[in-house]
Amino acid sequence: MKTTLALSWRLLRGGGRRGMLGTWLTFGAVAISTALLLFAVSANFAFDARADRGAWRNPVPAQTGAVAIEAQRNDYVRDRQITVIDLAALPPEKAAAGVAPAGVAPAGVTPAGVAPAGVAPAGVAPAGVVPAPPGLPRFPAPGEVWLSPALAALAKELPADQLAGRYPKVAGQIGDEGLVHPNELVAVIGHRPDAAAMTAPRSDDWIVGSPPTKIASFAGVASEEAEAYQVLALIATVLMIVPLLVFGGAAARLTVARRDQRLASLRLIGATPGQVAGMTVAEAVIVALAGALTGAILYGVAVPLLSRIQIGGGVWYLSDLWPSPLVLAATLVAVPLLVGMSAVAGLRRVVVSPLGVAKRETPPGLRFFRVLALIAVLAAVPMLSRSTSVGVIAVVIGLAFLCINLVGPWVVALIGRITAGSARRPARLLAGRRLVDDPRSAWRTVSGVALTGFVAGFLGLLSPSAFSSDPGPAQLRVTVLSGSAQDAVTQAKERLSKAGVQATVKAEKKVVVAALGSTADAGVIDRARTALDGLTPGRTPTTESDDQRFGMQMLADVGAGTVVVLSVSFLVAIASSGITAASSVLDRRQTYALLRLAGTPLSVLDQARRAETLIPLTVMGGGAIAVGAFCAMPFMLGSVSVNGLITLAVCVGLGFGGVIGAGALSRPLLRAVTADPAPRPD
Amino acid sequence: MNEVLAGRALAKRFGQTVALGGVDIAVRAGEAVAIMGPSGSGKSTLLHCLAGIMKPDSGEVHLLGQRIDAMGERQRSALRRTRFGFVFQFGQLLPELPAEENVALPLMLGGVARLQAVRQAREWFGPLGLQGMETRRPGELSGGQAQRVAIARALVTKPAVVFADEPTGALDQNTGHDTMRLLVQATKHNDASLIVVTHDPNVAAACDRTVEVRDGHILALRGAHG
Ligand SMILES: Nc1ncnc2c1ncn2[C@@H]1O[C@H](COP(=O)(O)OP(=O)(O)O)[C@@H](O)[C@H]1O
Ligand SMILES: [Mg+2]
Repeated sequence: MKTTLALSWRLLRGGGRRGMLGTWLTFGAVAISTALLLFAVSANFAFDARADRGAWRNPVPAQTGAVAIEAQRNDYVRDRQITVIDLAALPPEKAAAGVAPAGVAPAGVTPAGVAPAGVAPAGVAPAGVVPAPPGLPRFPAPGEVWLSPALAALAKELPADQLAGRYPKVAGQIGDEGLVHPNELVAVIGHRPDAAAMTAPRSDDWIVGSPPTKIASFAGVASEEAEAYQVLALIATVLMIVPLLVFGGAAARLTVARRDQRLASLRLIGATPGQVAGMTVAEAVIVALAGALTGAILYGVAVPLLSRIQIGGGVWYLSDLWPSPLVLAATLVAVPLLVGMSAVAGLRRVVVSPLGVAKRETPPGLRFFRVLALIAVLAAVPMLSRSTSVGVIAVVIGLAFLCINLVGPWVVALIGRITAGSARRPARLLAGRRLVDDPRSAWRTVSGVALTGFVAGFLGLLSPSAFSSDPGPAQLRVTVLSGSAQDAVTQAKERLSKAGVQATVKAEKKVVVAALGSTADAGVIDRARTALDGLTPGRTPTTESDDQRFGMQMLADVGAGTVVVLSVSFLVAIASSGITAASSVLDRRQTYALLRLAGTPLSVLDQARRAETLIPLTVMGGGAIAVGAFCAMPFMLGSVSVNGLITLAVCVGLGFGGVIGAGALSRPLLRAVTADPAPRPD
Repeated sequence: MNEVLAGRALAKRFGQTVALGGVDIAVRAGEAVAIMGPSGSGKSTLLHCLAGIMKPDSGEVHLLGQRIDAMGERQRSALRRTRFGFVFQFGQLLPELPAEENVALPLMLGGVARLQAVRQAREWFGPLGLQGMETRRPGELSGGQAQRVAIARALVTKPAVVFADEPTGALDQNTGHDTMRLLVQATKHNDASLIVVTHDPNVAAACDRTVEVRDGHILALRGAHG
């Protein structure tokens, strides 16, 4: 073992300048993969953290021992949403008696506190002590308002009659533990338990996050919205991780490709298969470990930047994006392990037959079986729907993705045969024969970009079409749930005129409608909102575009997510294409150099290299886009959007541009290796 | 004087190393010249200068009266492709191309249509003892067979001069001998001149003339012409 390690260290250092280049390429590739892997994994934990922190506002009805009533609703300012939490502490005897105030819970929601009277369950907070909500130092007293820092800042910035007027008695600010993200606008308002806002019936329509609910603690559950984000994050992770694994594998093979010749000769002079395998693995693992550590640092440096990505209407707390020590440790172990395993797999041929590499025999045929696997997976896709469990969806998408990767070499070999058969010029002939000879390495060059085609096809079809950007009339509507609508109209007129807002107010059935006229700007609307605040206890007046805010936010987030996933995929894909192009030049430097000595123009070699990547890229990229779109079909929301098609077109352009660019980068390398007038194998 | 290729006062240094110290050499049409000498004496450098692969620091190279050492890389490259043939120690065949396409490649680079180029390439297989090897790939050929394919590739464009740098260096003695005999015969048969670097005295004996190189200088001329 010790000699093996010492030998591999010598092999690593003694590989010469070109050997070192291969090592550096592997190192860089592993570093990039690790950083992106940490990002893909941390994103999930970050959404989990958001869901956890927001859970307290999504109350769970207490079975026994209710101590407080909690309700959640949405309010608006300018074009942003404010989450309003109404809280009231229950008097101790009432809590113990479990008597629900009349009409607290709407039909369908189990009334809280139905425990038999007089039975005080264990674990209930002592009388008079109600737990503080997360982020607050104590339970808010009736009339008190606590604001999130972002909302407090906004209240200071805007004229008082537009926002601050809604919060007459601000007691303090909500801490980070109670906020989903730093930009969140949240107001926690304390009430008496018999206040109208806590007792007045609320319909369970969308404007009300949760009707007043008796709670025993602030544990809560993740909201549906938070869960939707968690699912989307998981899908994004799957879409990013598969190309990352492919990339990592390509990087690992790079070390092997650079060494196989030398290792084969080591075998020839009598090193045992175990020693050869040990050396290769040791070398790959040393490089991978260094790369993984660098990648982790790289990710750490990138966290402040990544935290600026706005999702769900806000940026991220840095702590959300830091990987936990466990995740970090697991990554630092898993990455070198995977690279080592990939290296062993790549080397098996050399170890099994020492002449295998030296003689460059035809690789074993690629099985048609792989195509059948893809077809089988695709056959399962139409059975999916939006109601299928997330796990199943993730598995099917992941499998489709992996199958494209499996089919890749087979298709590349087929394309190669066609290209070579029909070639008239030398460059095409060389490209075609090369594709047939080593479809796997040709596939490795383009697989990343082609697989990104899958992602683009998938997301391109999924991007929902934009909502109408027409903000609708400047008109506030609020439903009246108890009492006469006509009384509410009178009161609204009074409040609006006192606030100096011109409006025509009338009742439409149980809805008070305040039309503010075509000249009303955002400031006027906010003044009217502030004036009408509390007109109907527990409800907020909204405009038409407020009602669409949630959908718009989701749309914007899917858009941002698509951009993130595609950026990651393209970064990985183009980097791996560049790396494989460079390593392929290095691998074939002797032949290239001798061809050039014999007068073969460099441009022919370059054309061949280009055709060798672009032909499979076109076919496989197109195929992958089609498969991705096919996989997205069961989840489509309405028709294909222009946005999606534009995204797709941009991706195709970037893909070709990136691969051509990455290939062109290795042109100086080609020139350099062929300029050597006395080429020798290492 | 029917000189095909002539080098005059060729000098080349690599840093402090003097690889060639002013060498004069001339090769006649159809003549086979062996270049011998210890390792590091400047044989390959001489060959590279004569073939237009490398520019000498000083001196001139003439091909059929035309000066070639002053040409640009593009022109020299075209010259190597059309007027010269090369046989290296090993590794010049593209591993993924069948033997016949390896031979046809120089013709295709010269603009000959693919079918015609392959047909012309096949004609070389019989005379070189390579019947049935047309569609094999270099990995499936023995070392001697691969070198004979390389000879066919060097000659297929009907070059004026064939350069061979230790063409049998990687072969066993008997195979090397046979291959060498074929090389000399085939070049003569095609009216091409041959310049071959070798360590093997038997190889040298098969040539018309031997040039001995020592420390960048030509030592002596042995053997007249035959
Ligand atoms: N590219 C080069 N860079 C530096 N020195 C070189 C280079 N090529 C050859 N040499 C040196 O020039 C001398 C002659 O080399 P070469 O012509 O290859 O000798 P031979 O072919 O006779 O073995 C040697 O000392 C060699 O080290
Ligand atoms: Mg030499």
